[in-house]
This record gives sequence, structure tokens and C-alpha cells, in this order.
Amino acid sequence: MAAIEESGGGGHGKGDGKVRGKKMSTRVDMTPMVDLGFLLITFFMLATTMSKPTSMSLAVPDKTEDQEKPTEPLKASKVLTLFMGANDDVYYLDGIAADDDKAKTDLKTTRYGFDLRSVIFASQKRINAANPKDEDGNEAFVVVIKPTAVSTYKNMVDVLDEMAITKTKRYALVDNLTDAEKKVLGDKVIPKN
Amino acid sequence: MGKVRPKKHAPHTDMTAMTDVAFLLLTFFIMTATFKSNDAEITTPTSISQIKVPDDKIMVISIDKSGKVFFGVDAQPTRAAMLENIGQAKGITFTDTEKAKFALQSSFGVPLNQLKPWLNMPKEQMSQVKQPGIPVDSTGASELADWVYAARKADSQLRIALKGDNLSKFPAFKDVLANLQSQNINKFNLITGSEQAPAGYTN
Repeated sequence: MAAIEESGGGGHGKGDGKVRGKKMSTRVDMTPMVDLGFLLITFFMLATTMSKPTSMSLAVPDKTEDQEKPTEPLKASKVLTLFMGANDDVYYLDGIAADDDKAKTDLKTTRYGFDLRSVIFASQKRINAANPKDEDGNEAFVVVIKPTAVSTYKNMVDVLDEMAITKTKRYALVDNLTDAEKKVLGDKVIPKN
Repeated sequence: MGKVRPKKHAPHTDMTAMTDVAFLLLTFFIMTATFKSNDAEITTPTSISQIKVPDDKIMVISIDKSGKVFFGVDAQPTRAAMLENIGQAKGITFTDTEKAKFALQSSFGVPLNQLKPWLNMPKEQMSQVKQPGIPVDSTGASELADWVYAARKADSQLRIALKGDNLSKFPAFKDVLANLQSQNINKFNLITGSEQAPAGYTN
């Protein structure tokens, strides 16, 4: 048991014949204090959040900026288009435009995480092998990310994270679907009420 | 008889050392503890990003799971200055008590027209009332934009962080984005939890 022991009671001199009080034990029972100490430790350990949140920076293109040099339209063969659907599904068109006749049959579905990463890596490898780098030294591979009304914020962060993991430098977050894309996706991206 | 018995020891163990360690730990945890504020419950998604969220000079726009938007600025003087700025812009005068009370709110989600009644509630009631969220729409000129403007006017060094819930729908984020972009804010931080990068990933 935790106890403080002190030798000697009072500091009285000897033999002065005074009536002394009974010597009390100077042992203090520290058990309640220790109990309380551990209780508090437990509480603070549980209440502390150890991992600080991290942040990813996101830069979006300036809307007001005048487009001095019009960017040339992307070739569908160099683009992987990801559509973020409901229930954590990702639909994608790999190197094919949505207005292509084969788009409907070519539309595949995958899941976030490892599956999506494999899709991006495969597409990245194929497109970069087939197309040379442009004059600025950028790789040909471009990902177009299309969030839809049924996707969640987590989906978007997940996809942006995949861009960091696969080191895809050129990607675009486009939040409107073209008519052709709407046709291809059909009712997959319409919110159900 | 005649057996040698080990001397009986008193069953006292010296707990001083243990107590010392326990209290050292206790001190450590008390010092490092940061308490959850009464902000809206938001579970952020995770990312492999290693950048830490700055502690000061930051405004946080939070989107909760139903798409309600909350707004918060870290420093108390900035909060008061921000309230004054928005009051000037909207023609509302706030009393000193209201300003003092507002400065204590780490984050809020009350439309401007309900702000004054909310600030005049007793303290306990204030935290219990269900906040409807700051009005946001896709035009980019809603109240959130006014708040962001007022906050930046109060402290031009403020960084902007977005904190969205896992389950919030994308359109809610898009509306917030529209409000920021309308003010030429094109770079901001998304607050996420940390996550281990997949095997084989190199920076």
C-alpha cells in the first residue's frame, strides 16, 4: 500500500514531564489518491485525440480568368473518364468518348480503393505507351472526374486521393454531364427519392 | 520445531514510484488534451496526404451529413470583427454583449435573420438549439459568401479549409465551391483524416 512513513512524531524534548497526546501514526493511506489518479489518466487518455487531421490542398481553375489561349479539346483516346455513382460505385469509360456508339457497352463499373487504382494504373500505362509526351513534357494521360448528384463528398476525396497515389498529374474535376454521358449512364446517376 | 522459517515481511509495497509515473502520465494527458467543441458532428474522409492542418489563422467551412453548412474562424478577435463587418454590410447593429457571445462560438450555422435572436438566448439554450445551417446556393452570392468576405476583411491572412462529412452529397460541396469561386478563391484545403499510403507508394 502506498504510504508515507515518517520517523519520529513531534520534535519535543525529552523528560519535561508534560502530558503528551497519544502518538498518531503518520502513515497516510494514499490508495484513494492513486485510484483517482488512474481514473483521471484513463479519462484523459480516452478524451485525447492523438492524430491531428491532415489536409489536402485543392486548386480549382479561375472562373473569371479570360481564356487567352483556347485549350485544344481533349482526344477521347487519351482520357479516362470516371463517373462517381451512388453506393460507392464508379463507372468509367477508358479511352472512349461518351457519344461513341460503343460507349454504352464499354461502360464498366468498379469500386473505390484497390479496384479503382488498378483501373487507373492500367489505363495510365496503356495510354502513355501509345501516345508520346507533348511539347511541354507532360504525359498524355488525362483523367476526367465527373461527380454526380448521387455521389458523396467522401467519393470525391477518395478519387482525388487516387490521383495522388497513381501520380496522375493531369486531371480535371468536371461537375456537369453532357447529354451523351447522361444517355450512357441512364438512371444510374439520378437521385432516388 | 526448529524449522527455519523465512522472516515474515509486512505486505506493504512501496507504491511511490508507480504513483509518480501515474501522475506524470496524467499531467501529460491533461496538457495534450484538446477537447471536442460543440461543433457539428462531422466524420471526415481519409487521405494519404501528409500536410497538417494549420492551427491558427484558419476559417473552416463545414458540411455535415445532411448538407448543412457551418462556418467558423479560429481567433476570437477575428470573430468579433467579422460580426461587425457583416453587420455593416447588411445594416444590422450588434450590441457588445452579442459580439462577446458570438466571439465564443467556434462554429455556427445560423442564417443572418435568425442570428440576433440566437445570440440573445441564454447560454445553455444556445448550444441546444438545432442550427439550420448557413444558406448556400449555387449562384455564388448567398450568405456563406458574405461571411467569407466579412472574415477575410477582418483578417486577410485567413486560410480556408473545407471540412465535409463522408456522407454529404456532392451538390452541397459544389454550392460551397461556387460561393468561394465567386470571390476568386481558387485554392483551399480539404480537411481529411490521415490514412496509410498503399504499399509501394513513394513520394
